[in-house]
Amino acid sequence: MKWPAPGAIASVAYKEFLHIYRDRRVLLLVIILPPLFTVIFGHAFESTRRTGVPTLLIDRDQTPRTARFIEIISKDKTFDWRMPAQDFQGESDLIGNGVKASLVIPAGWTDSLNKGDPKPLPLYLDDSDTGTGESVEGAVQQNLGTFQAKERDLVVESLPEDVIELGKKLPVDVRKQFVSLMTAWTTESKNLYNPNARFIDYVVPGVIGLILQLLTVTLMACTIARERESGTLYQLLVTSLQRGEIVIGKMLPYLVVSAFLVLVIMLVSRWHFSVTFYQLPALAIVCLLFLLCSLGLGLLISAFSRTQTQAIQFSVFFLLPVFVLSGAFAPLEQLPQAVRYISEFFPLTHFCRAFRLVNMYHAGLQFYFNDLVILLAGAVITFLGAAFLLKRIEQ
Amino acid sequence: MSEPVIVLDNLSKSFGNVHAVEDLSLQIEEGSIFGFLGANGAGKTTTMRMLCGLTHPTAGHATIEGADVWKDRYLVRTKFGYVPQRFSLYRDLTVLENFRFFGGAYRVAGAKLERRIERLLRVIDLQEKRNTTAQNLSGGMRQLLAIGCALVHDPPLLFFDEPTAGLDPVHRQQIWNLLYDLSNEGKTIFVTTHYMDEVERCTEVGFIESGRLLARASPRAMKSSFRVRLLELDVEPLMPALVRLRDVPELLGVSLRSGSLRLYAQEPEKLMARWRENWPFPDVRLLGERWVEPDMEDVFTAYSQGYDGVLKKSAL
Repeated sequence: MKWPAPGAIASVAYKEFLHIYRDRRVLLLVIILPPLFTVIFGHAFESTRRTGVPTLLIDRDQTPRTARFIEIISKDKTFDWRMPAQDFQGESDLIGNGVKASLVIPAGWTDSLNKGDPKPLPLYLDDSDTGTGESVEGAVQQNLGTFQAKERDLVVESLPEDVIELGKKLPVDVRKQFVSLMTAWTTESKNLYNPNARFIDYVVPGVIGLILQLLTVTLMACTIARERESGTLYQLLVTSLQRGEIVIGKMLPYLVVSAFLVLVIMLVSRWHFSVTFYQLPALAIVCLLFLLCSLGLGLLISAFSRTQTQAIQFSVFFLLPVFVLSGAFAPLEQLPQAVRYISEFFPLTHFCRAFRLVNMYHAGLQFYFNDLVILLAGAVITFLGAAFLLKRIEQ
Repeated sequence: MSEPVIVLDNLSKSFGNVHAVEDLSLQIEEGSIFGFLGANGAGKTTTMRMLCGLTHPTAGHATIEGADVWKDRYLVRTKFGYVPQRFSLYRDLTVLENFRFFGGAYRVAGAKLERRIERLLRVIDLQEKRNTTAQNLSGGMRQLLAIGCALVHDPPLLFFDEPTAGLDPVHRQQIWNLLYDLSNEGKTIFVTTHYMDEVERCTEVGFIESGRLLARASPRAMKSSFRVRLLELDVEPLMPALVRLRDVPELLGVSLRSGSLRLYAQEPEKLMARWRENWPFPDVRLLGERWVEPDMEDVFTAYSQGYDGVLKKSAL
């Protein structure tokens, strides 16, 4: 085996580039989809908060006090309030009423508050997605808290003079304690690393990674399989080309195309979502290693598949768990520890982590060095694997 | 006699228990047009792929210009051009782009490559089509292009796997003329084919059946490997006669040629003498009889059907 010759690699790369250039439909797809997906995904993941949850409000008490509560809670964007319709099915039939939750103010609630024995508010929740229930309940609790504080202020304001006078007789420290207890206790939070709490800033590497992973793996997976299908692979193998030259030559045009796409996606994120990118050289290295690793994976699938159909099938089966388990759109910490070990095998996991460390944390190399090493190792292993599988074709 | 370019020494290839090629020994001289003949699945393509270093022999070995076709395959690949059975160039690339790619792949570069491409475009008569994509060429032109690309590194040896399969007679003639020119330039040509008229154009013919080489000779010697003459009958009606004659135990086979029936029999004279006295098929009229010399198709039929009775001892 000799070292790969640049001239031979250039021949393969140019030929491969012509394949991409001549296949106008796929070319169009490659150029249009990434920016389009960026805009769609970007908006889809812009915020994690639930808004506009259709909720039924049934006021069976109808007093000025319940009206005050309803005024407060109706300003909350979590809910899209509905009133009981003509064909009201009863408050616990959520799907019958076409809502996700229903809040009932029972008859005599105001009375029970006045009597010092507050009745709980019945709240029916659709928690089939294990999230909506918690959000709705949290929002109702919060609004109840606000309402309670306001009602308390009203009571305090309307206290008789002599009670105030009586209060003044209390020792100073006790009175100060009362003041503290009467105000809400708060935290002074300072958001680091994503000060504006914009989810889009967090999710951008996920969008970049997802689109690139999809394109690089599927396009690359077809290259060798296509040659095998059309019979050109044998023709290719009887030339003086070495396997390394074929593998590198096939990868280069796709590397250039996908590097161009990274740029396009970053520009779209910049202009459309005002995402700022920091430490561009470091980001470039993270992207390059990720691309090499993904292309290597595609090549491996390609060398392994008999037909293009098979190559696409293998790609889909590989990409499916990647999307769910890589932490592209949600923190890895949501997954159980055992599953997180699997995540570590996906290049997208390391790409997202390294990208965020650079772009959001402005972290030094020592924080994401491991991820870079793993991506590099992945690239080397997949390329060697593809070259090895090509050797097996010759047997 | 010139030096052998290709030497096969007990070359064998098995896939598990299936012996695709068995103990093939053969020498092919420089400048010859060697026709490799055999039925589908006889082992022709496997042999050719072993010689091209695409699959390794399970036993024995072969050399091209002294270099082992498997161990030294990267060296060997510079010595031959390969035109496979199916059209295997890039359909979405133009004529010129295909040439340039294979030129680069064979490490021919720069002005030398451009000169050679111009010459080859003239040879295969595709100068006008240089910017046409391969998928828009006719079948014959594609085949010419495939041959052109196999010649881009000016190899001394060429492998053709059924180069004229499915082509019209005009393009077949054009391709054979090209092969003669190449042979005249001193190139050695190894070609497989099913067309018997094409076998006649080879200088040497090897016949393979079930992975074994059964005969190897010049086409003339091949035809003289028949021990007997062949009997041709004119009969009426034709088809019932063909069916009847197939059941005659003394006959190894019957084939229909230009309206006459050609019979392969171990002792045709005796059979005919008997028939002259007593024609056994009352519903078939015997109109005439004559003796003919076997042609290549008879040779192919006899070898591939195993009509040992009509053949001399092996012509190896």
